[in-house]
Amino acid sequence: MTRARALTLAAPVALPLMLLALWALAAAHIGSPLFPGPGKVVLAAVQNFGTILDQMGATLRRVVIGFAIAAATMVPLGILLGRIRLLGWLFEPVIDMLATLPPPAIVPLVMLFAGTGDAAKVTMIAFAAAIPILMNTFEASKVRNAMNSLVARALHLGPWETMLRIDLPAAMPMILTGVRMAVAAALLVSVTSEILLATDGIGVFLQRQQENFQIAGGMAGILAIALTGLAVNAAILRIEKGLLFWHYRNDGQNG
Amino acid sequence: MTAPLRLRGLVSLLFVLLVWEGISRLGIVPARYFPGLTEIFAGAVEMIRNGELPAAELMTLGRAIAGLVLATLIGIALAVLSDASPFFERGFRTITGLVQPIPPAAIVPLAIFGFGLGLKLYIFIIVMVTIWGPYLNGVTALRAVPVEQILNGRMMRMTPAQIMWHIKLPAAMPQIFAGIRYAAAVSLIAVVVSEMIAGRDGIGYLLVRKSFSIRIPETYALMFVTMINGVLLAALVNLGRRVLTGWHVKQMGYPA
Repeated sequence: MTRARALTLAAPVALPLMLLALWALAAAHIGSPLFPGPGKVVLAAVQNFGTILDQMGATLRRVVIGFAIAAATMVPLGILLGRIRLLGWLFEPVIDMLATLPPPAIVPLVMLFAGTGDAAKVTMIAFAAAIPILMNTFEASKVRNAMNSLVARALHLGPWETMLRIDLPAAMPMILTGVRMAVAAALLVSVTSEILLATDGIGVFLQRQQENFQIAGGMAGILAIALTGLAVNAAILRIEKGLLFWHYRNDGQNG
Repeated sequence: MTAPLRLRGLVSLLFVLLVWEGISRLGIVPARYFPGLTEIFAGAVEMIRNGELPAAELMTLGRAIAGLVLATLIGIALAVLSDASPFFERGFRTITGLVQPIPPAAIVPLAIFGFGLGLKLYIFIIVMVTIWGPYLNGVTALRAVPVEQILNGRMMRMTPAQIMWHIKLPAAMPQIFAGIRYAAAVSLIAVVVSEMIAGRDGIGYLLVRKSFSIRIPETYALMFVTMINGVLLAALVNLGRRVLTGWHVKQMGYPA
């Protein structure tokens, strides 16, 4: 029993290590430069460390700008659509339609209006991040808790105060969920936009490695993306929990 | 979908079309970059007539559906494995965290080496990016099956495998389908991106080719096609859900 428990506790490290070993064995067995083992990938990661860091920096800079634009415009727009019934009624199907449009499909359009430079990539990232933020903000500000409205009335709050002090915090958990989805979408699209509209960034690094048949280098790049994604997601979750400590406390089991 | 909802979709669509036509007529944006609806429609008809669009559409939809089905099966299998083995569940969490944030576009260049430009490439990429929805929802849902139901199964002398197949999986199905619905959208994105990068056939490739040859109405038409594809695939998933978990809707009065 205790041995099984210990094994389960070690699982987060043990299972990946087992898979790594399998990978190393398979790579040694095949012995082709097109299928490098984990050792070669780590070596390539060390050799290209500076480049990967630089390119990742360029990518993340655009992610931050695009995401900031999306958040700054879509949260107010979502609240507006959620609050003014007619607008919400008219635009909800439009948002649903836009949500089905894959962000990469707008590349040709973005190229027409913004070329292939930074502006084009930031536009794509902003578009991809905008949809989840808009949808969740809209949903969150559409429903109003009856009890909360009564509290606002009892406290003699004006419409603006009600919105700022009661409705906005009440909508926050859902808005932040949208934000977390938006960050993930922004990261995804940033790499895609770089591969399709090459200038710089980690996506371009991946393509250069592939063009030079540096498979191990390419895998090192993918590893860097995976680690960055993991770190960013963990950080966002942390921030969310910090901002919403009251929500998680009230919910009890979610904390 | 109820009648007023459908009406509302129609009104909203008309509104969009009106605004679109208005922008194009008033020349707020250069008409060359923002063609009117008739031109876009003509572009679509032209592509249908010369066979480009149906061929590409068949490719893209076929790939998306094949990949989605396989990803769903693998995702459910992994969820069942996770439910049976806490070791695997905890270990796989690390792998999920690492692999989930990798964008499909990032794996395309390397995957081409391993799989060539055929169906295998697309299936591989779709599976890599879409198993997470069915898998994660499956794990949560399997764990949430009420103990009473499982005990009932034991009372009827069912083996653990029978309990999984006859009790736990059906109970988890509605939530798994919520994951599949999300995966469907992701699989379409993955296919279109891969086609854009791999550059041989499919809607994604057609989109790149039309835009590079500055056939703007056609480019817009193809964007509408990708949008419609999203709706189509979502409807397909809904159909599957109704067939497999119709009992749930009947019991609860609402779909999962």
